[in-house]
Amino acid sequence: MLVVNLPDLGEGVTEGEMVKWLVNIGDNITADQPVAEIMTDKATVEVPSPFSGKVIEFKAQEGDIVPIETALLTLEGDESQAHGIKSNNCEPAGSTVDSQAVNAEAASTNSVSRSIGNNEAGALITPPVAGQRVLASPSTRKLAREKNIDINQLNGTGPVGRVTRDDVLGSGVPGAGATTSNTPVAKLAIPDFKSQGGALEEREPIRGIRRKIVAAMQLSKQVIPHFTLMDEAVVTQLVETRMQMKVAAEEYGVKVTYLPLVMKALIATCKKYPMLNASIDDNANEIVYKKYFNLGFAADTPNGLVVPVIKNADQKTILQISAEINELAIKAREGKLAPADLKDATITVTNIGTIGGTYATPIINHPQVAILGMYKMVNKPVWKEDKFVPEKVMNFTITADHRLIDGAVAARFLSDFLAKIESPSKMLLEMV
Amino acid sequence: MSQANNYDVCVVGSGPGGYVCAIKCAQLGLKTVIVEKEKMGGVCLNVGCIPSKAMISAAQFLHRAQHDASDMGIEIQGDIVVNLPKLKKWKDSVCDRMSMGVNQLLKGNKVDIIIGEADFFSEQEVEVKSSKGKEKIKAKNIVIATGSRPIEIPGFKIDEKSVLSSTGALDLEQLPKKMITIGGGYIGLEISTYLCKLGVEVEVLEAGPAMLSGVVDKDCVKVIERKLKKLGVKVHLNAFAKSVSKKGKSTEVVAEIKGKKETLIADKVLLTVGRKANSDQMNFKKAKVNIDSNGFIAIDKQCRTSNNKIFAIGDIAGQPMLAHKASHEGVLVAEVIHGANRVYDVKGVPAVIFTDPEIASMGMTEEECKQAGYEKLKVGKFPFAANGKAVSLMETDGFIKIIADHKTNVILGVHIVGPEASNLISEAALAVEMGATLEDLALTIHPHPTLGEAMMEAAEATLGHAIHMINRPIR
Repeated sequence: MLVVNLPDLGEGVTEGEMVKWLVNIGDNITADQPVAEIMTDKATVEVPSPFSGKVIEFKAQEGDIVPIETALLTLEGDESQAHGIKSNNCEPAGSTVDSQAVNAEAASTNSVSRSIGNNEAGALITPPVAGQRVLASPSTRKLAREKNIDINQLNGTGPVGRVTRDDVLGSGVPGAGATTSNTPVAKLAIPDFKSQGGALEEREPIRGIRRKIVAAMQLSKQVIPHFTLMDEAVVTQLVETRMQMKVAAEEYGVKVTYLPLVMKALIATCKKYPMLNASIDDNANEIVYKKYFNLGFAADTPNGLVVPVIKNADQKTILQISAEINELAIKAREGKLAPADLKDATITVTNIGTIGGTYATPIINHPQVAILGMYKMVNKPVWKEDKFVPEKVMNFTITADHRLIDGAVAARFLSDFLAKIESPSKMLLEMV
Repeated sequence: MSQANNYDVCVVGSGPGGYVCAIKCAQLGLKTVIVEKEKMGGVCLNVGCIPSKAMISAAQFLHRAQHDASDMGIEIQGDIVVNLPKLKKWKDSVCDRMSMGVNQLLKGNKVDIIIGEADFFSEQEVEVKSSKGKEKIKAKNIVIATGSRPIEIPGFKIDEKSVLSSTGALDLEQLPKKMITIGGGYIGLEISTYLCKLGVEVEVLEAGPAMLSGVVDKDCVKVIERKLKKLGVKVHLNAFAKSVSKKGKSTEVVAEIKGKKETLIADKVLLTVGRKANSDQMNFKKAKVNIDSNGFIAIDKQCRTSNNKIFAIGDIAGQPMLAHKASHEGVLVAEVIHGANRVYDVKGVPAVIFTDPEIASMGMTEEECKQAGYEKLKVGKFPFAANGKAVSLMETDGFIKIIADHKTNVILGVHIVGPEASNLISEAALAVEMGATLEDLALTIHPHPTLGEAMMEAAEATLGHAIHMINRPIR
């Protein structure tokens, strides 16, 4: 009997949600044929079978959360295929362009799995062996290994820092971009929901992207003390500049929105206020100031909110950023984003404006420390010198982590940012 | 012998490492074969742990009858005589019973057994030479559990007649009048102690400045030293044995003791200067299995060798060379082969020495704690002399010592010398593995009157407030 496991899918990923079977029981499949769709960190990947054979039994059901390295299905076939460790290259469902990047990631992490080869010091054993200072009972150490959690990274909440079962089970909670934070979130005693039952209530299990969002939002709000500052900007000049860019970009077949301009203004302001483009490493008790700028932007999809990331946006032109935004937005709507597209944002922009709302209090994507909101554009009379003048006005909010960013800092940041938004030509002058 | 090919696992060696591994493999549903070149159970069951404990138990029985019985009002009228052939027969029956038990477990779990000597033929095959000829065994995974053997030093060839190893000593048909033990480690001292109790005059030559050096807490060694003196065992430290020769029916040893040349005469010489891994056997090069600079097979934390289909466990794979470490590794390897992501991550391996009194330890000594970076320690000692059960047993020598981290009170090491130390240490092993603190031990009710409650008192002593002794300020 050949067993097809869910392979190691990448850094920090300990489990995936079984979305859909791509084969049926009794099918004769060939090696490398995709057998299932698994969702991790909001991206769906196809898992291929390393063996050929006939599908005998499904070991998981659609909707199950499957830990990596556990069985998905069993096959009947030539047993000699099971010799040696094959590397499963998982491809994002349906994508071809980004498959190379994902293949490289999957292949390198698969070589880290238990195939130790000519190794003496056990450097390739993952997760690493519990260190001498780790206090954890043997059964807890075993549990951590079964969940593929590095027990050395956990802050034990038991007496004298002992790692408890709850510490192990509560860690590794996936969240949008939250790959390194292992702050054990306090278990809340949520009272039972008093159900009325019957036909007046319809129940739906929390699955897929919604499940990820639940975890990420809870984590963010429990760990980060949020505060939001709002102000309004006169964007008449911005509108004009953008219109000119839009026309010029038609030549390249690229649609230009306000977002790339906002991103550039944001990056320029972050360079002056680096604490907005940072993270807090709780375990090391250190602030991490990032010298790279990966801008996440919130995108609404039929399945829920996702945040694709423009990597190194400070090194791309407005045209390049626009093209990437368009590409990622399409992928987001089609549910075809790769895990790499959703990782490592340093700061996020959210735009409800096109849908409606004058301002909001967005939730920061942990481990980032800030999120910029942009809202509806309206025509408003603005007092200028001695009379009211019709102007286009847009609200912006900056929501920040009060552990790192003080009120005054946020206020100065927002003021600087809005100065750039209100005067795009000046921003262009100073832009690298 | 059903299938000579296509086993999931082939285990070579049936000692506490090998047979445990084979049984676990079979329990997990793997097709397993075990190859043993001598007797089932290996060194441990036949010429090591089990027979030595049988002899020690008999010697202790005799010793107590001779020394303690009359204090208790039990007057033995007449001489107590040791019938060594009968004792040997009983000892052999203990070994046979254990060895048969291993056989039954293996057969009951449907493990194929081959008696023969295995050598690597290729990376995935061993060739076994048995009374039936040669056969090749092919297996997806091979586990090497071929253990260790006594070290021989140049000029001291073990013939098991005048120069004995532990194997020969355990099998004596006649008690020598006098024996010289070369090597004051735990094997030499265990055998010397029990032979002395049986009536042999024993002299020990230890090359180092102390007995059991490097193995045991120094305070524990002091207790053993006193008892050996009381028993009449002469121990020479800084004593190097230079040569041995037969002089008629006797054996003569020339030694350099504290720089001076001395000649000692005895009936037999016991050579217990350590054990070495059997890494020079089996043609490991053919299987691309690397040996490290200490002569052990190099393994990672899953007991895999440099050939990732071959595992090594027990004495041949490294220190500590203890049967229970081998058994733990045996289970670990079976699970790893079956697909579990298990590793060797114990916080320590308890060690037991069956001297008189017994010594047992788990975790680190004070020096080891300091080396590991624990700057400030709490150390406490509770003497068995203050323990009611020990007094009623007339076994009051010794103590329980606990070492803890000063900041967190986490127990880092427990060292016991005294009655039943070997049985008391298991509680300490659990405490250290779980990261228990002194309070955890002190706040657990231990039954009275037992030796076990001395553990609770020792924890209290380390905290500075034991009830059953006057507490000196803790260091």
